[in-house]
This record gives sequence, structure tokens and C-alpha cells, in this order.
Amino acid sequence: MKLFARECDSREAAYLLGADRLGARERIALEAHAASCGDCADALRNGRPVDLALRRAFAPLRERRTIIAPGRVRLAVGPRSAAQTNPWLRVPRFFGRLAEVSVMVGVTLFAVGSSLDPSTRPSSSLTPTHSIVQEYFRSQPPLGDIDYVRWLRLVKADASSTVSDPTRLPMGGRFDYDPVEYAQGPGALPR
Amino acid sequence: MKPDARRDPAAGDTRTDHELVYAARDGDTIAFDALFYRYRDGIYRLGLAITKDPSHAEEIVVDTFARAHRALARLEPDASLRPWLYRVAVNLSYNRRPRKGVVLSSLDDAVDEALANEDGSPSHVAEQAELRRFVLAAVDELGPKHRLVVVLHYLNGLNLTEIAEVVGCPVGTVKSRLHYALRRLRTHLAAHPELGIEPSRSLIATGLRAPKPITAPVPIEGE
Repeated sequence: MKLFARECDSREAAYLLGADRLGARERIALEAHAASCGDCADALRNGRPVDLALRRAFAPLRERRTIIAPGRVRLAVGPRSAAQTNPWLRVPRFFGRLAEVSVMVGVTLFAVGSSLDPSTRPSSSLTPTHSIVQEYFRSQPPLGDIDYVRWLRLVKADASSTVSDPTRLPMGGRFDYDPVEYAQGPGALPR
Repeated sequence: MKPDARRDPAAGDTRTDHELVYAARDGDTIAFDALFYRYRDGIYRLGLAITKDPSHAEEIVVDTFARAHRALARLEPDASLRPWLYRVAVNLSYNRRPRKGVVLSSLDDAVDEALANEDGSPSHVAEQAELRRFVLAAVDELGPKHRLVVVLHYLNGLNLTEIAEVVGCPVGTVKSRLHYALRRLRTHLAAHPELGIEPSRSLIATGLRAPKPITAPVPIEGE
């Protein structure tokens, strides 16, 4: 019958692995115990072939090598190691990153700003500009004949407050009444 | 692990790991290269045994030493850097384990490569290769914890204390796991009579085949 099974397990494993953690006294005690315990004797006797089979099976794999060079580790670590040793080496990198971010933000703002339709802009934020020069040119009559006639009618409508009947409609190929000279409005000068 | 000066240019460095770590911390790249060449193959084999993929194993070597390089300021190896490196390598390897159902036969290929250079009749070489494959397949059948202990001892040559440091558990637990793994392997390997392994005593009918108690001490390796 196997006594102190857990302790036996540990001792057997250590025994089979070369007794590197098994003292001489423990080893003698284990051997003495195995002489009277069938299970432990069986485990020790058949543990050795298993141990040998494992050593033989792993022997070819123990010769397996690789040709990796330490340069791959340096590549994997990168320039971070140099920056860690000297903090001043981080300064150009910081400014480089800052320039990258600035360019990125600028391009983004440009793209977003140019994609906005001016009509969609809120008009409340824009104050209408008032220009005396623009007012002056608006008051000037246009140079084209048709535009002049249209402008004249508009100006006449503006000046209707001073004229009794400003309407002048053609009827039957002639005007219903003779044209009259209109009162001159502000800036309404005939050619 | 003995350095191979013939293959590794920086392996002739006789400084201890402690000295090499302190030299590498001061920017001595040759010291770091010496550490790399000293433990490169062991970490590669460990990664290969767990992931079964040579390219993954190479990545594990690079990542392990990259982590060691970043942790140089914190590393305080008492005697050997090996347990620390192997622990990192084990953690990295388990992130790259092959998925279930994916069959990779890199270990078998390695066995074939080694056996191609062996002397003997072709039938003997083939028989040995078959036995080795059977043993490795039995190791693959073990659970991850037990398999790791077996690989660390039989492939990487770590002793129980170093295995305990790598795995992060007491030495007694390592012994127990190893005992359990050997018992399981014995059950598997007993199917091959060429290996000379008897089935477990509990499997034999009582009275039919009683094992003899050992009368002489089992020879211990190294004595």
C-alpha cells in the first residue's frame, strides 16, 4: 500500500530528474521505502525508461538552432532606446510631430471650410456692408437701351408719388396718351 | 547552456549575466549581443515547442529580447537571466499557440532532419524516428501545464528550481506536475513494447503481474 502518496510523488519526480533537489538522506529514505512499497518501486523502475524515451525524443530538437541576428532586436526596439538614454534627442522628434499635427489640422480646416456653401452660412453673423460708392453707382442709369428703359420705369415708379398717372400702356399701336415729361427723380437724368 | 563560440561571434564572452545586464544598461551593445547569443537558441526551441511554428518561434525570440532591452533598467538578475527570459518567452508563446485543428509538423520535421544524419540501417533509422514521433505525440497529449514542465526540463534542460521560477509556482508543484506528466506518458508509451515500458501497476490485474521491488538504487545521471 502506498503511504504518503504526495510526498512520494515529489520524491520520485526529483529522483528521476537527477536528484538535483533530493538530498542524500531523502534519496536513501525513498529507496528504502520503495523496497517495501510496490507502487513506488513500480513507479521508479518504469520511470527510468520513460525518462530515457523523453531524452531520446527531445535530443534532435535540442540541436535545433536559429540564425536570427541581434540586429532584428534593435530594429524591433527602434530609436526609442536612444531617446530613452538622452532626453534631448526627443526635441527634434517633438517638433517634427508638432509640424505634422499643424499641417494636418490646417488641411482639415481648409477642406471643411471650402466644402461649406456660402448660402448655408448663418447670415446673422455677417453684417451687411453699406457703401456710398455702391449707392452712387446704383443710382446711375444703365448704359444699355433696354436696361435704361427698365430703369426708367422703375425710377418712375419710385417717383409716382409726385405724378398723378404714371402708367403708360400701349393701346392699339399707340399710347393712350402722349408721353409726358416726368418729374426728375433723384439721379434720374435723361441721356 | 554552454556558449558555442564557433557559431556565435559574441558567445565567447565569459562575463556573467549580471555583469552583462549592467554593461548593456550603460549602452554596451556588445554585452546585449552576448546575452542574445547566449539564450537565443534556447528561447527559439521553447517557442518552437509551444507554437510549433518556426516563424512564430523567431518572432518570440525577437520580442523576448526586445522586452528585455526595454526592461534593462529594472532587471536585477541574481545569477542567471534565463528564468526571466524563459518566463517572458512562455507568455509570448502562449499568445501564439496554434489554433485547435491546425496541424503543424515542425517538430517532426526537426526530428527527420536530425535522423537524416544518423548512422545505421534505414529500417533502424525509420524505427527510431517512429518512436520519437510517438513520444512527442504523447507529450502533445498532455495538458498545457504538464507539457510545459516536460518541455522546459527535457528540451531546455532547466532544473526544478528554474522551472519553478519560469512557471511561477513552488518547486513542490513542479515536482507534482512532472510526476503526473511522467505517469501519463507511461500510460501512453506502454503501448510500444520497443520502449520497454510496462503499463501502470494499477492497470494490471492484481495477482497476475506483481512488480518486483527494486533492490538496487536506480543510477542517477551525472554520478
